Amino acid sequence: MGRYLLRRLGQMVVVLLGATLILFACLFVIPGDPVGSLAGSERARDPAVVKQLREHYGLDKPLAVQYVTYIGHLAQGDMGEDYIQRRPVSEILGPKLVNTSKLAVAAIVFDVLIGAGVGALAALRRYSIWDTAVTLVTTVLVGFPTFVIGMLLLNLFAVQLKWVPVIGDASDPVQVILPAITLAVIDAALVARLMRGTMLEVLRADYVKTAIAKGVPRRQVLLKHVLRNSVIPVVTYIGISFGSLLGGAIITETIFNWDGVGMAMSTAIQQQNNPVVVGVATWGVGIFVVLNLVVDLMYAMLDPRIRLS
Amino acid sequence: MKLTKALQWTAVAAATALAVSACGGSAPKPNPSTAAKDGGTFRMGIVEPVAIDPDNSQESEGNLVTENLFTGLTSVSVDGKISNALAESRTPNVDCSQWTFKIKGGTTFSNGEPVDAAAFVRGWTRAAAKATASDVAYHLGEIDGFKELNTGNATGFRGLTAPDATTLVVKMAIPDCEFDVRTFHTVFSPVPTVAGAGDNKAYNDQPIGNGPFKMDGPWQHNGKITLVRNDGYGLTKAHLDRVEISILNATNAAQLEYQGFQAAQFDWARMPTEQLTAAKATYNPKGDWYQWNANGMNYLLPMLANGPMKSKEAREAISYAIDRNAIVQGVFKGFYTAADSLIPPVFTDAYQKGVCASCAKQDKEKAKQLAAQAGLTPGTKLYFGYNTGAGHDAWVQAVAAQLKDVLGLDVQIDGKPFAQLLDKEKSPDATGIYRFAWGADYPTPGNFLNPLLATTSINEDPVTHKVQGDNRGRYSNPAFDALLHQATATKDLAARTKLYQQAEKIAIGDDLALIPLWNRSQQRVANNEKWANLTYDFNENPTLAKVSQK
Repeated sequence: MGRYLLRRLGQMVVVLLGATLILFACLFVIPGDPVGSLAGSERARDPAVVKQLREHYGLDKPLAVQYVTYIGHLAQGDMGEDYIQRRPVSEILGPKLVNTSKLAVAAIVFDVLIGAGVGALAALRRYSIWDTAVTLVTTVLVGFPTFVIGMLLLNLFAVQLKWVPVIGDASDPVQVILPAITLAVIDAALVARLMRGTMLEVLRADYVKTAIAKGVPRRQVLLKHVLRNSVIPVVTYIGISFGSLLGGAIITETIFNWDGVGMAMSTAIQQQNNPVVVGVATWGVGIFVVLNLVVDLMYAMLDPRIRLS
Repeated sequence: MKLTKALQWTAVAAATALAVSACGGSAPKPNPSTAAKDGGTFRMGIVEPVAIDPDNSQESEGNLVTENLFTGLTSVSVDGKISNALAESRTPNVDCSQWTFKIKGGTTFSNGEPVDAAAFVRGWTRAAAKATASDVAYHLGEIDGFKELNTGNATGFRGLTAPDATTLVVKMAIPDCEFDVRTFHTVFSPVPTVAGAGDNKAYNDQPIGNGPFKMDGPWQHNGKITLVRNDGYGLTKAHLDRVEISILNATNAAQLEYQGFQAAQFDWARMPTEQLTAAKATYNPKGDWYQWNANGMNYLLPMLANGPMKSKEAREAISYAIDRNAIVQGVFKGFYTAADSLIPPVFTDAYQKGVCASCAKQDKEKAKQLAAQAGLTPGTKLYFGYNTGAGHDAWVQAVAAQLKDVLGLDVQIDGKPFAQLLDKEKSPDATGIYRFAWGADYPTPGNFLNPLLATTSINEDPVTHKVQGDNRGRYSNPAFDALLHQATATKDLAARTKLYQQAEKIAIGDDLALIPLWNRSQQRVANNEKWANLTYDFNENPTLAKVSQK
């Protein structure tokens, strides 16, 4: 187990290095000088300023040198400085990571509560009106684009009803509700369908029938046997979904002015603000690498047949 | 942040000027009988500024904050007229190679430091210093000693002296009889000693100034900037207690501002172009709708050095082939007006109606005839570059379609991110036409003519041969340059304006070095139920220092 962990951690470093290298190469072959234009203006930057900024950011050096310097700094937790405001990227991204995490956690909570709950109920009341309604609604929702859901919610609850402010503070818990629901709706619909399917399967399993035949109270059968065995695939799905949420939800964050990494990414790409782009992407890759590791470890714990070493 | 294209410096027409401006406009008239009532919190949204420290504050967003935190020598009224702020007098010498400013004594920064001549020297020196790498330092470029300071070969500003606390003497490297017009720009602000060097992060995020407002805590990046009234302000004090400025996403800021306004969360807002018609219908009857001609202009930038746009006839053919009015109505829903000059109509004294003869109306016959003369035969390839993500797609396609219909040109539209487009425009082998726009920093025609068309503004890099200035079409005409020189050296305003007009006649009337398309206009909604004296200023921002409660 210990050796396995070490090996995986080693692999992680390689993956991260590879990812940053590819990103770096991609960003720097894009034509156009990242410090050549004045933000938000038609004007070209003063040549003296451009020269100075290029020196400051090491853009006058060969790409390989820039990359090695970048990795050297990254190893010390320094992600460089952004090209527009000239502030450290870590200082810029820090609060955004926190905001995105808040949103991701809230969305996952909605996912689980609504998705799993609704799915379980549908399975238990199979072929009832409730079940039909769930199937119908979830099918429709899955086909909805996120931005439509987001705009509808924002217009209804913020602009028309004024229950929540349109523009609020990310530290205000009320403000997280609408974007979290927006993010959760489609996922929750998928989770509900997944939950319903697996639960129906488990309900038909022999051990459940046996338990019922033995006279175990229904409540206990459901909690101990059915629910526990049905949630495994759902947990896996939610884990993956959580990973992508932590990487930043560009559309939802943009609609709700949520100051997270998704929004930072979209702005940075437009501005050719490469240090921020590389920073966010590195974070995204890191999240998935860690999440993969966690999933693999969890499988080993849940299923004793899997041996890690 | 190219979406802020529409938010550039503008000269705006006040009630009087509005009457004569082409597009006209509407703004609820402030009610003079209303006694100004103190108090209240004004709320609005902007996008994240690049800087709010006067040493690098550059776009409309940053300027909104900076101009409320700092008061300089002069201010500019909504119709572009300059007046004294902290200056008591501004006097040039005979040949405009030296300016003497007398400063109002006894005012202080919000931390108690005096605002004297030395504070101005400090502020200007700090902005021009090499280490600051300021994007707006070039506004100080005419002052003697700027080059040395800006390249790091000097630490002091040779051209600036403060013989006593209330006298500031500015020696010019390039004599300029309208230098004082520049000094309303925020880069000319005085700063206290605590400002330190240009890279003082603490000061950059929470500048201490001498304006009608002061910061209430540091700038919360991507979150909020909060201003409170500066009760120790040396001029007319503000009425508002607080101004809360929410910082919005660059991608959909106009949408968020408008939604915030509809939800009564904001008191002032822009709106997305698609919603202008509906917004006007809703808010105009309530008196909450503002519309005015801005001091910006949109052009086609023809590349004069190579390719099909080299000849004047070719450029005229293009200009005649475009139906500006059809596009203004069709694409811009009548919120813009067709342009017929380089200097926009809001410059009421300098504007020459119809100086661009080919702009007046579409003339297919003339266009074809001129195209034939220029060798612009049907099927000729014409490159047309523009920047994506800034709402230009629709009109670019419309123009391309008209050029194809009328002249049979093979127009090759090429949309690129702004930084890449700029890079291509600057290259020595650029050909064809490009989307282009300009907004003036100062209310003077020279601020269009000089940067866009003077030979010195090409500023070619000797190694790469790229254009480094803003004259990216590489227009060069000695007669035009001479007139500009003469204008800058002319003290008399009326005579100066005449010279600018003659210069415009050469560059646009004769050479058509830029092809004017439309004058830019601005639209806002504002909460007049709650606020009095709420209108727009020269920089398109709400007049926060004057707003009061109803």
